[in-house]
Amino acid sequence: MSLPASFLQQRLPLADLLDLRAFAEVCHSFAELYRVGLKVFDEAGNRLVEVKVGNADFCGYIWTKPSGREQCVATVGRVKSEPIGEEPAARTFECFSGCHYVVQPVLYEGDVMGRVVFGPFVPESLVELPQTLRRISSDFDAKAAASYQEKIRKVPVGTAEKILKHFMDLLDVMVFTGHKNLIAARLHIEAVTESYRELSDKNRQLEESYAKLKELDRLKSNFLATMSHELRTPLTSVIGYSEMMLEGLGGPLTAEQREYLGIIMEKGENLLQLITSILDISKIEAGRVRLVLTEVDAIQVMRDAVATLLPLARKKGLKVGCEPGAIPRFQADRDKVRQCLVNLCSNAVKFTPAGGSVTVSAEVLAGERVAIHVADTGIGIGEEHVDRVFDVFYQVDGSSTREYGGAGLGLAIVKSFVEAHGGEVGVRSRPGAGSVFTLVLPVRPAPTVAVTPSSPVPAVGR
Amino acid sequence: MVQFNAETREIAVKVVYYGPALSGKTTNLQSLFQKIDPKVRGRLMTLDTKDDRTLFFDMMPVFFKTHAGVKVKLKLYTVPGQVMHESTRRIVLQGTDAVAFVADSRRSEASSTLAYWNNMLKNLEANGLDYRTLPIVIQMNKRDLEDARGDDEVGDLRRVIQPPVVPAVAIRGEGVVETLYAVLQLCYRSLDRAFGLDAKWHVPEKEFLGKIFAHVNLAGTRLPSHPPEPWGGGAPPR
Repeated sequence: MSLPASFLQQRLPLADLLDLRAFAEVCHSFAELYRVGLKVFDEAGNRLVEVKVGNADFCGYIWTKPSGREQCVATVGRVKSEPIGEEPAARTFECFSGCHYVVQPVLYEGDVMGRVVFGPFVPESLVELPQTLRRISSDFDAKAAASYQEKIRKVPVGTAEKILKHFMDLLDVMVFTGHKNLIAARLHIEAVTESYRELSDKNRQLEESYAKLKELDRLKSNFLATMSHELRTPLTSVIGYSEMMLEGLGGPLTAEQREYLGIIMEKGENLLQLITSILDISKIEAGRVRLVLTEVDAIQVMRDAVATLLPLARKKGLKVGCEPGAIPRFQADRDKVRQCLVNLCSNAVKFTPAGGSVTVSAEVLAGERVAIHVADTGIGIGEEHVDRVFDVFYQVDGSSTREYGGAGLGLAIVKSFVEAHGGEVGVRSRPGAGSVFTLVLPVRPAPTVAVTPSSPVPAVGR
Repeated sequence: MVQFNAETREIAVKVVYYGPALSGKTTNLQSLFQKIDPKVRGRLMTLDTKDDRTLFFDMMPVFFKTHAGVKVKLKLYTVPGQVMHESTRRIVLQGTDAVAFVADSRRSEASSTLAYWNNMLKNLEANGLDYRTLPIVIQMNKRDLEDARGDDEVGDLRRVIQPPVVPAVAIRGEGVVETLYAVLQLCYRSLDRAFGLDAKWHVPEKEFLGKIFAHVNLAGTRLPSHPPEPWGGGAPPR
């Protein structure tokens, strides 16, 4: 892997380091101030700025003479192109007209970036028009030429060099500032582009891992669904044959044999229930839950659920209460609501020590909703776990030596079923002070929600 | 990557000061800026934020012409140290010919120093540079601070790692010139091996280093005063 070549590696022409329009304005005001012309060339000899001050008439007159024109072009060529070295010092060029130019290279970071030509000006030492000028034509008008030349500023060469040096100092700052700004802007873009490239790379990797995970998750759900089904089939036989033996179809049994068979049946039923939960969850995850909506009598459903758990609760020495209140019938999938309540009550019984109580109650909420609460006086749930208890396979005590059994599916099923109805679940709890689980269900679920959950419930973590 | 221009007889060399945040990279360059004669160096370009943290880099050019008429242009860069400027570090490191790794000597900074060292190796690789052949000098900076590792520990470090180690207190200008000298000497030798600086370009090591260090204020450094000779007559400083 290699990055694209950075801007830092490139060498820049002078024009890229200056804002030419603004630079031209500075040159104009500088030339106006000193009343001397100014030209700036880049390294390749391109003219970036030209300001003429005072020499238009004089040079114009010389240009009317062929020989003058020729010599003028030669002088301008020398001033523009003749090598002047790489030292930060001015060099003086003399024009055949008697005028002078001072020229200095533009140096930046040890490189020659171009040159600045300051002139023409008339050196103070010049007292009369030189022979080289007078000779350009037989009809040369010295008087007119002299009067034109007076419009050009007269200045000692040393002073001109000082002025030029001052200009070079200004130019150096402008080039440095321009370079700095250019680098900052370009490097900013390069850094952002590079960060973007890096992020895109990482995103792609993440997307790939995510797709892989999703596929694995789907395979897991399929596996669970298949396995639960496969497990159920032989288990049905185990339970069925035990039942047949209990009924004496296989001959008379001793009391001890009956007791053992009873245990086989009870444990078989437990196992079947567990497998059914797993099947439910895999269906939920595969988005295959179908609600069969009927009129549900809440009071009936609550009593049913309580009755199912009553033997176990009595055995543990718990008080069980059912306070249905005045609650209207509502539209729901009766079996699923019943299962939700059984799951909640079974948890309540499981997590409440002897002497405690479990109470199922209901109330009507605003907005055509009903709430069913299952309250216990059990061990409660720590604050750090409350948000996650409805997650699939989540258990407050996830250790292998945990005190309470279960697959960690009961509450996830409750949540999925209730949400399939367009309702919601909630819990309030304090460790040691018991928990209250609440189902809120709409009296009339929206048909779209009721038919099928729009999206499968993610397997873990919400 | 060093740039040769046979037509204009120019050699452009790039050296990068790399290292963790606040280890003293900018301080190194500022100190060199003070010590190097303006005749052979340009301005110190600093692209920083208002709280003086380097935003993109600092850069200082050094340039000279050899007797054989070769123009040598050396650019010293620093990278921004803050973690978030990772992509800028990678860009600045591009095409470098040598690296001065500025480490904070304090024990408390050891883990972040190591992280940046590894980060540099990764970024060198991303630029197609091989750290095993690239000239690298490690500067153990902030030797004056209380928690700094002792000289014996620095000695141990020298024995186990390949790059030369130069102790420094950059804020007082100590070890700064020595670091530059060590890195340029390694850099010269590596370029000479690859491109024949001496044989083809007629730039001998003594002149390459001499042209720079004759214009450096060597007062208080451990370098021999003018004219500077290569360290110990050949072996890289250990």
